Amino acid sequence: MTIRPISYAVLRGQVIESDLVEFGGRGGDVTFLAPDPAMIADRLPLASPRLMEDLYELTFEQILDYLGELGSRLDVRRNDYMHEARDHSYATAPTTKPIMDAFFEHIEPMFDRERIRRMVDFNIGVPYLEGWVEKPINGSKVAIRAYGARALHIVAGNGPVLGALTVLRGAVTRSDTIIKVPSNDPFTTGAIARTMVDMEPDHPITRHLAVAYWRGGDEALEAKLYQPHNIEKICAWGGFASVKHVTKYIQPGIELISLDPKRSASIVGGEGLATDELIEECANRIAVDVGANNQTACANCRMVYVMCGTDEAGVDKLKQLGRRTYEAMLRLPQALSTTPKRYDPDLKSQVDTLRLSEDFYTVIGGEKGEGAVIVSHTPDRVEFWEYLADRTVNLIPVDTLDEVLEVVDAYTQTVGIFPESLREVVRHKGALHGGQRFVALGYAFNGPGLVGPQDGIEPMRRLVKWIISEEPLPEKKPFWECGDEDIALVA
Amino acid sequence: MATLAPPADATLEREAEAWMTDPYGHFGHHNTRIHSLPRAEVEAVQLVAINKRLDERRGQIKVLEKLADAQGITCVGTLDAIAPLLMPHDIYKSYPVSLLARNKFDQLTTWLSRLTRHDPTGVDVSQCVSIDSWLTKLRDETPLDVATSSGSTGTCSFFPKSKADYRVSVEGLRVQLAQEFGTDPRPGDIDDPIHAIVPLYRDGHASTGAFPKYIREVFCKGDDSKLHTAFNFKISSDLMWLAARLRAAAARGDASKVDVPLSLLARREEWEQAQREMPIRQMEFITRMVRELRGERVFAMGTSNMFYAVAKKGLEEGVTASFSPDSVLMGGGGAKGVPLPDDVEEVICRFFGFERMTSGYGMTEMNSHSVRCEHDHYHMLPWVTVFQLDLGSGQPLPRSGVQTGRAAFFDMTQDSTWGGLVTGDLVTIDWDNDCRCGRTSVALRKSISRVSDSQGGDDKISCAATPAAQAEALDFLTGL
Repeated sequence: MTIRPISYAVLRGQVIESDLVEFGGRGGDVTFLAPDPAMIADRLPLASPRLMEDLYELTFEQILDYLGELGSRLDVRRNDYMHEARDHSYATAPTTKPIMDAFFEHIEPMFDRERIRRMVDFNIGVPYLEGWVEKPINGSKVAIRAYGARALHIVAGNGPVLGALTVLRGAVTRSDTIIKVPSNDPFTTGAIARTMVDMEPDHPITRHLAVAYWRGGDEALEAKLYQPHNIEKICAWGGFASVKHVTKYIQPGIELISLDPKRSASIVGGEGLATDELIEECANRIAVDVGANNQTACANCRMVYVMCGTDEAGVDKLKQLGRRTYEAMLRLPQALSTTPKRYDPDLKSQVDTLRLSEDFYTVIGGEKGEGAVIVSHTPDRVEFWEYLADRTVNLIPVDTLDEVLEVVDAYTQTVGIFPESLREVVRHKGALHGGQRFVALGYAFNGPGLVGPQDGIEPMRRLVKWIISEEPLPEKKPFWECGDEDIALVA
Repeated sequence: MATLAPPADATLEREAEAWMTDPYGHFGHHNTRIHSLPRAEVEAVQLVAINKRLDERRGQIKVLEKLADAQGITCVGTLDAIAPLLMPHDIYKSYPVSLLARNKFDQLTTWLSRLTRHDPTGVDVSQCVSIDSWLTKLRDETPLDVATSSGSTGTCSFFPKSKADYRVSVEGLRVQLAQEFGTDPRPGDIDDPIHAIVPLYRDGHASTGAFPKYIREVFCKGDDSKLHTAFNFKISSDLMWLAARLRAAAARGDASKVDVPLSLLARREEWEQAQREMPIRQMEFITRMVRELRGERVFAMGTSNMFYAVAKKGLEEGVTASFSPDSVLMGGGGAKGVPLPDDVEEVICRFFGFERMTSGYGMTEMNSHSVRCEHDHYHMLPWVTVFQLDLGSGQPLPRSGVQTGRAAFFDMTQDSTWGGLVTGDLVTIDWDNDCRCGRTSVALRKSISRVSDSQGGDDKISCAATPAAQAEALDFLTGL
């Protein structure tokens, strides 16, 4: 009999490994065990927001100390929990072993205290978390402070770093954090939480974290848990796939922070292909944005609009770019990109179909499930553009920038730009069409990290409760001393 | 991977030729005989037919030639060996959509010509300004009667069916529906004009309007007064395409980004009004038919949902139909997403006064409808070879035991196209046991679903957008 891996529940300093029931297994997936959700439901939420007071006995520096220490214990070579989680994750993750190894390698640096400080300062401002930030305005002294909330996180599982990021965000915002782990990453977050229990079981940060797996849509559990007396915020990644079960519980008192599913596209100006060197550079840039993590993320480029013109010369140039992009993709380092774990058979069938339509498309590669570059000969994206994945990119020739903007919509997250001269116009017009993040082509995964806005919102700023305190300045005349003519209720 | 064809056998050759050219005539339009052939014999004829078709069509259909050359297949020694040459249904929408938006019908004609043996490139389509005008022109001047359909992505597919294909298809319906299995056909089953009730359009290029003109020939024997359609006009493929593009644009968050010609966009209200009025008009139509055709033998064909709505309302109002007992009602459309109520059959039968209703499994890309038997199996016609492909590898599953896989077919009766098709449907077949109804033909279980619905495990969450997530979101929003 094979041993099935366990997705541990870690509830407020306690590791739960009893009452195990089986999950997963659908469509040939791995099965794993997790504590029966019905048995732990009562222990998931924090009974009262009042109980978050202990988090305010910690200074921000002490929080950083805790996270720094935690980070140093997450080294997969020395931490058995992380090691085990990584080994089990090879089977559940959408990416391959070399990429997962690289992910786990870089969990520790996420907890670098100076990196965390920079992230918090950039997103919220440390003083707002540490105390009241005062400012005089309109005759009053106004003080603002960011307070933690009781938040439930439904995290995405396409990379094991998302659970770690959620733990971090919860700690620095002094939140009470419940994490519902996904079936494509059911082990990593639990391993981090178990490390926290070993480290300091009674520490407020350890006590304000609950990690568990339950099947999204488990009515018995969710109807009980998703109540305003248990949680104030739900942060859901993956949009509808995760929130479809949640929406019915949204009511006054529960705020939904929805990180909707997104996809990404890029824009290359005609001058980007002016010389042979530029074509090579452009190919390298596209290959990285397509190939990173085997195109499993929202930020991965799936279509590239190239302003090379739609005449024969333009399309010929595009084919050349396509061949170079394909070669560049195969050259990418293993830690970043490999042959995909499984090439979607439906996608393969669609790509193979286009091979027969050589009037309109040139298909480069893709015969062995390694990924493919599809060059359109007309300004049309492929009919199955929404399914592009597993290192498959569509290069599309256009005559004008307007044609590109037509396809930027509310589902467009990252837009890669090359060359930089296009940035001003692309980011302005692109934002109006729905685009949310504008990067230099080739840098979709090589930027500042997950700081600042994401998907057009600021998740960290929304995870906290913004509290205001107002005092009248001496010059403010009280209403009880005013006559009718002085009373002014100005909003 | 060239394999030697089986040695020529004159009897099999003759049989294959007959099945390919006039299948129903060859069996005297005898439903029971058609569904009682020994499996081994059927498969032997199928293999001969596949090789004949491949030999003939590879020189006629460009896309097949390219595919066969790439695979190095010139003839096959087993049925399964033809699997690499079965074409994904997506091939019939593999043109760039801008050609439609810009009315480039000459280029579309060239694209279409690579998929059929009836070369349409000689037709002057330079004056065509709409899908309807283009397809009407092709229908007038070639053997083709191109079939359109719109999928969830809003792309219109064009299947180069021929008029002969439609005739075979409707003939198959009559043979299978008018006769009870296990008995000889009565003369009237084959030759009498029968009233046909089609609560859809009288004409059109999409399945909601394409069939009546052939039903008029095959069921009504040319008698126009026996063909009853709810809408006595042609359904516009342009408007259907517009509707699909609007839906797709709305799903992407900006309904103003619709890439259709402006002249077409202006007709949006026309379509929406027609859609709003449709259920009421269908209801009126059926009510009128119930009154006017009392005691007559009728053949009614439509979607189960529509018949259900009519029947339910009729029963509530105390109305029931009294057609002749040998009438037949065929529903359908349940497999593709729209769930049917549990009591659908009971309610329809009670209203229409039939002992049972039947339903068919078929698709635009095939000439052969499979009719459901009383043991809930869809029975394949012998001239259609069924393949079940493994969802991961795409390889054919064994023709033994109980198997579930992606359905693929080779329909040897296809006059215009190659005949080999890979579908998006997931089907289950028990290869070892014949159905209890007595038919020996291959039987698909009733539960047919979309392959796309079965993919992916539970609860996998990703930040990357998938069409399924979006479609679900849209269904959810529009269902509020």
